[in-house]
Amino acid sequence: MSYEELPHTADVKIRACAPTLDALFGEACRALMQVMYGGDRSGGTTRSIDLDAPDQESLFCDFLSEVLYVSEVDGLVFRQADVRLEGMHIHAVLDGEPFDPVRHNKGTEVKGISYSGLSIQKDAKGYMLDILFDV
Amino acid sequence: MLDGVIRAGTNEWEIPVGYVPGMRVPGRFFLSDALAALLEPGAVQQLANVATLPGIVRCSLGMPDIHWGYGFPIGGVAAFSLDEGVISPGGVGFDINCGVRLFTTPLAQADIKKPREFIESLFHAVPTGVGAKSSLKISPAALTAVMEKGARWAVEAGYGVERDLARCEEGGCMKQADIRAVSAKARARGIPQGGTLGSGNHFLEIQVVSEIYDEIAAKAFGLLKGQICCMIHCGSRGLGHQVCTDHLKTLETATKKYHITLPDRQLACAPIQSPEGKAYFGAMAAAANYAWANRQLIMHAARLQFERMFSIGYESMPLVYDVTHNVAKIEEHTVDGHRVTLCVHRKGATRSFGPGTRDLPGDLATIGQPVIIPGSMGTSSFVLKGTATAMERTFGSTCHGSGRVMSRSQAKKRMTGKEVADHLLAQGIIVRAPNEAAIADEAPEVYKPSSEVVQVVHDAGLSALVARLSPLGVIKG
Repeated sequence: MSYEELPHTADVKIRACAPTLDALFGEACRALMQVMYGGDRSGGTTRSIDLDAPDQESLFCDFLSEVLYVSEVDGLVFRQADVRLEGMHIHAVLDGEPFDPVRHNKGTEVKGISYSGLSIQKDAKGYMLDILFDV
Repeated sequence: MLDGVIRAGTNEWEIPVGYVPGMRVPGRFFLSDALAALLEPGAVQQLANVATLPGIVRCSLGMPDIHWGYGFPIGGVAAFSLDEGVISPGGVGFDINCGVRLFTTPLAQADIKKPREFIESLFHAVPTGVGAKSSLKISPAALTAVMEKGARWAVEAGYGVERDLARCEEGGCMKQADIRAVSAKARARGIPQGGTLGSGNHFLEIQVVSEIYDEIAAKAFGLLKGQICCMIHCGSRGLGHQVCTDHLKTLETATKKYHITLPDRQLACAPIQSPEGKAYFGAMAAAANYAWANRQLIMHAARLQFERMFSIGYESMPLVYDVTHNVAKIEEHTVDGHRVTLCVHRKGATRSFGPGTRDLPGDLATIGQPVIIPGSMGTSSFVLKGTATAMERTFGSTCHGSGRVMSRSQAKKRMTGKEVADHLLAQGIIVRAPNEAAIADEAPEVYKPSSEVVQVVHDAGLSALVARLSPLGVIKG
């Protein structure tokens, strides 16, 4: 499992890889939190997310948009997400901690999750996701 | 230039119909030969994609700060017929009514004896960066008023003076705001963020007027050489981002319902007159109003610091103008000799209304609208004026900034935030940010030179140079 930032002039483009789709969603969530708050994130406070979407790409965008929303409104910074997919339904438990202005000031605000350039591919090794965050 | 793009004049290029399948009109963009070397194929593709949307009028336009975005390119302008056309959040962006305002002061550079201390006081007066919350508590009822009244809400609540409103595009309020179309989630994000700057490329900057190009217009705008000014760049915060996210989802479904074929899902759209299109437009206008109130609140906080530090009167700091650069508006334009009402999308583009147009304050009616173009951190910003040429050629639009040329990850590899800050300090520019990475991300080298971009719009007649502003101190979000 891994993710990396790909070159993109205006925004942040992320490539995440994972052996399963469940783990791929979790990686994308970790990447989002890394971009927004930096790497120093611990756990202890949980939130769960349940969503349905008409297709897989929408489910990705909706899930990450929901993480963005919960993080901002509840003032939480998540370390990881435990994701379970059943068809086009996602159940995720996010583990994080309250936002700390000193420890969590290493990132940049993400304004939205874009459909542009979004792709999910599968090969023998697992899944690969490309996704663009508007910053 | 890229294969398939045709030169249409000095600094002007055409993307012919057929460049991507389904184009209804050509694409046209303004770019000097020097800037053409920096043009990304993705940006041209996006400009061509916009030309496939139903009801697009004349052409899909790109300003010289064009770059690769999502949906529309950044620097994109497109107008749509109200009968057959569509409205798309991809033509506005997540940060609805991201914009810029500029106010002047009676101070000269020599009056700022302790610049570091002053920048620090501003940094603490304006909540800045990721997770920053406002000290202002906006009640749910007040939030409704913010979304309906925009900058007027702030002025009525004591955060400004009546004259400020006449110096905002649209008077700082889009009357079409429909708060019923704004979700509970968007409201929840809006409540704690009134008067916050945000992060990324948002900033508050202390500048000095370093050059005047047009004495008459500068005088009308209230600009004098050597004068200290303050520029504020930010938008509608989480409320606007959520409005875009929510309606993108609704319009995705609507795109299928109205049988619209799209080359990019981020261009999700609906007919302007459809229930879905109207709902997005009403919610977008409400978010735009939040942004105008937000910039008004930040300006108020900055004015109070000037008052406190330099014992100058609040009224001696007039607003030059406030422009939006991410918005869709219903405007009247002349097309093929006929007056028509259109829905003009500007995504990373600024309105540039010429002399005699609607919505100009009386004393600027013969001059044209002030156009404010922020530079990147450490480079000059510019004030221009709107022109008749822009009205004829670009639906009254011009560029909005300089446009990035380097990704954030590349920028961080080149220089640390401290190196960038030290380098700027050597030029007499103080930078203050919540973290070093924010400084590295926005180093001057990662943007196209702002002077080249404005020279192209000046030469093309899309707006005309009035004054140059040089940075002295920057607060980065």
